[in-house]
Amino acid sequence: MSDIHKPCACSPDKGVSRRSFLRTSTVLASGVAALAASLAPLRELTDYTSIEQFMQKYYKEMTPQEMEKVLERITREVEQHYKIRPHVKDYKPMDGVEFVYCLNLTRCIGCRKCVHACVAENNQSQNPEIQYIRVLKLPHGSLDMEKGDHNYAPSSVPEKGFFYMPVQCQQCKNPPCVKVCPVKATWQESDGITVVDYDWCIGCRYCEAACPYFARRFNFTKPSIPKERLNPNMSYLGNRPRKQGVMEKCHFCIQRTRAGKYPACLEVCPTGARKFGNILDPESEVSYILRTKRVFIQLKEELGTSPRFFYYFDV
Amino acid sequence: MMRACKNYLTFLWRCTRIAFVGDWRYYAWLGLLSLFCLVGLNAYAKQIVHGLVVTGMSDQVSWGVYIANFTFLVGVAAAAVMLVIPVYIYGNEELHDLVIFGELLAVAAIIMCLAFVMVDLGRPDRFWHLIPGIGQFNFPGSMLSWDVIVLNGYLLMNVHICGYLLYCRYDGRRPAKWFYIPFVFLAIVWAVSIHTVTAFLYVGLGGRPFWNSAIVGPRFLASAFTAGPALIILAMQVVRWITADSPGGGVAPPPSGTPAPEAGARRPATLEDLELLASHLPQFASVPAEIRQSILMDAVVLDVAPGDALLRQGEAGNEVFFVLEGRVVVKREEKGRFRITRSVGPGEQFGETSALTKTPRAATAIAEEPACLLRLPADSLSKLMQIPQMNKIITWRMTERLMITDRALMILRSIVQVSMLINVFLLVNEIFKEFYSPTAHVASSQYLYFGLHGYHALVPWIWVAIAFNLVAMFLLVLPLSRSLKYLNVACVLAIVGIWIEKGMGLVVPGFIPTPLGEIVEYSPSLNETLVCLGIWAFGILCYTVLLRMAIPILQGTLSKATEGHGDFYHRSTETPTLGIPDVKTAHSR
Ligand code: SF4
Ligand code: SF4
Repeated sequence: MSDIHKPCACSPDKGVSRRSFLRTSTVLASGVAALAASLAPLRELTDYTSIEQFMQKYYKEMTPQEMEKVLERITREVEQHYKIRPHVKDYKPMDGVEFVYCLNLTRCIGCRKCVHACVAENNQSQNPEIQYIRVLKLPHGSLDMEKGDHNYAPSSVPEKGFFYMPVQCQQCKNPPCVKVCPVKATWQESDGITVVDYDWCIGCRYCEAACPYFARRFNFTKPSIPKERLNPNMSYLGNRPRKQGVMEKCHFCIQRTRAGKYPACLEVCPTGARKFGNILDPESEVSYILRTKRVFIQLKEELGTSPRFFYYFDV
Repeated sequence: MMRACKNYLTFLWRCTRIAFVGDWRYYAWLGLLSLFCLVGLNAYAKQIVHGLVVTGMSDQVSWGVYIANFTFLVGVAAAAVMLVIPVYIYGNEELHDLVIFGELLAVAAIIMCLAFVMVDLGRPDRFWHLIPGIGQFNFPGSMLSWDVIVLNGYLLMNVHICGYLLYCRYDGRRPAKWFYIPFVFLAIVWAVSIHTVTAFLYVGLGGRPFWNSAIVGPRFLASAFTAGPALIILAMQVVRWITADSPGGGVAPPPSGTPAPEAGARRPATLEDLELLASHLPQFASVPAEIRQSILMDAVVLDVAPGDALLRQGEAGNEVFFVLEGRVVVKREEKGRFRITRSVGPGEQFGETSALTKTPRAATAIAEEPACLLRLPADSLSKLMQIPQMNKIITWRMTERLMITDRALMILRSIVQVSMLINVFLLVNEIFKEFYSPTAHVASSQYLYFGLHGYHALVPWIWVAIAFNLVAMFLLVLPLSRSLKYLNVACVLAIVGIWIEKGMGLVVPGFIPTPLGEIVEYSPSLNETLVCLGIWAFGILCYTVLLRMAIPILQGTLSKATEGHGDFYHRSTETPTLGIPDVKTAHSR
């Protein structure tokens, strides 16, 4: 670089050359200083990507040993940050299981208890607020979501003339979000749950644009969870704390459902509107509902996404 | 091999060096752009620390101006290369030199595109996940992975074509056709593909009815072929304006009171002179002795001093000149300003166009160093042209010229004209389809054009864009825009109109209302805007530097022949007058 003064070196006058050398150095020095000044905000960076994290392999290519190491790293990080030692596990899908969700729209009263149970179970950021479930208030007689009210006041529920429709990830059989991801950071597991690898996502938000159900949430900044509200029972593809700049979404409470429990939103529901289970088991409640109910609705059926989330009415 | 490498490295080195050399205006311009770049970098550093919250984006509107600019610039990049078609397929000579400028513009535009994608990522540190082979590349499933391939491929292709053509020009040799023509044709197809793929990025999303329409692709192309050439029309005029009155090759402008063309010592040419020519022009060796003898008859050797004019624009004349020693600069007057079209060194010719076509001189030639020239009458040239090797080299040199003529700009105008008509036609189609049978999917268009449930942030913008496009269209179809003044107005309107319409007007309404019917509006934050300005400044900086390298090469002042010649000049010490006052009077006479 110090050679850019060369153009003038053709001049036989040494003095000129020295002067121009000085000038070039001044220009260079002030350039470097300006560059440093413009990069100054980086000093506030607290959450560096460690080499270990930078080099981490793709989920599906990791050996069990490598996964162990990653889980250890996550445990360490959570402990450092929240002063709580979590149990981080990589729950795998079970054979012969395909989860579906059924939701009884006649029963739902729009209390939004599921929304908050979900936030607590899945370590969602509280500031800024991230929620996987949206409850829409709709006038009787219409399923036109454009008429839906997203911000109704919950103290007054249920209101006359309205019904309530909670919407979360529909765990599509044919998920557009998976198709568009350029780096395969999101995929459908064998039990039908579409997951995101928070350590692989590059944060392009293409999946968010592709999802027809507004089910994906992006960490626009560092998520914050109060220490006392951290759920220490964590899974790699599920509710472990996320980082800034990655995508997340409902995963049917992987850390619960893959361990044989119901999702948090179901357990908390005061009216029993929510039903969850294995569709491959003919004895399960969801199989019974889908067999016997005459009408059930898959949202935006015409898009061909084939949701694993069914809405029905008591008739 | 070693020598070729060394030669190439010298070429790169000299190009790099010349990028840092210029007059005070050049430095001021670079300084200004760098300042904006740094401001943008600063804003981006903030974004890295705090995340994308510092932008106006949200879960509801998850793409904003970054992707809007990206989309617009893909269009510019794709269209720039479309100039190649008239030149290489239809052999249109007027656009010949514009091609390199067009391709350099494409290079700068793609660099900006990649930067816009980069700043839009939430995790730029994981960029490597996108690299095929190392990361996980969701190909062919994701349109975004297609975009990664086509954009980078297009960048490489254009860098190769421009780099190779410029290097050959520098080296003074004829480019090998097989080494670049296949890429030129590939680039043409590729240019359509980068656009189509980017359109498919949106079209492929079934859950967004505003984008999920077959017309988006064609509209992308039409608007790109409007905005791209329009931008080139403006850029070329800037180039023309900058290269005007720039003295060439480190030589002070000629003193005033230039002697008449007949001045300088003259003597009949001898066989030695022809040998000297052959030593600079190997093709001349193939000229048989009897032809050499016969052309000697009327050949004259001139010894001229710097500043001597050899021929003048507008004059009649049918002689051709070959340079035996020294350099001659060829300038062209346009609207009272002079532009160097090339600098001619030993073994090269000038004046052949008039000699061959019997047209008046198209430019003025002035010696910039003490020079020795061989002058031949037209029929001697015809004899030489019968020898295939000579014919080839002379014709090739005739076409390789930095001439941005008004006619070339008018050809671009007709491209813009037609594309603009198609663009507006497709817009009308879309508006009709949306509003005549308003299905549930009309909400986004309703929001864009008229506002929805009291939200109408984009309404004024889109109507301004439409108004600009319509005014531009009328200006373009009217003969009025044959005058550059109106053409420029039309181009600016078209570019701004399309930037709004295709950037913000396409990206944002796709998200409003959300798939669940919620309306959340978007407007870019200050930080986001600064990042955008930074990237634009960086792109313009790249283009400036690329032009700074390309122009002297095209003019012939930066070439292998001028190596070690003190090829850098500071314009700051020079006055912008050319000091050949009698040319104009000669011209008007
Ligand atoms: S609802 Fe959205 S996020 Fe969930 S699987 Fe379907 S497309 Fe993906
Ligand atoms: S945001 Fe993440 S998960 Fe979504 S498409 Fe981009 S990389 Fe894939």
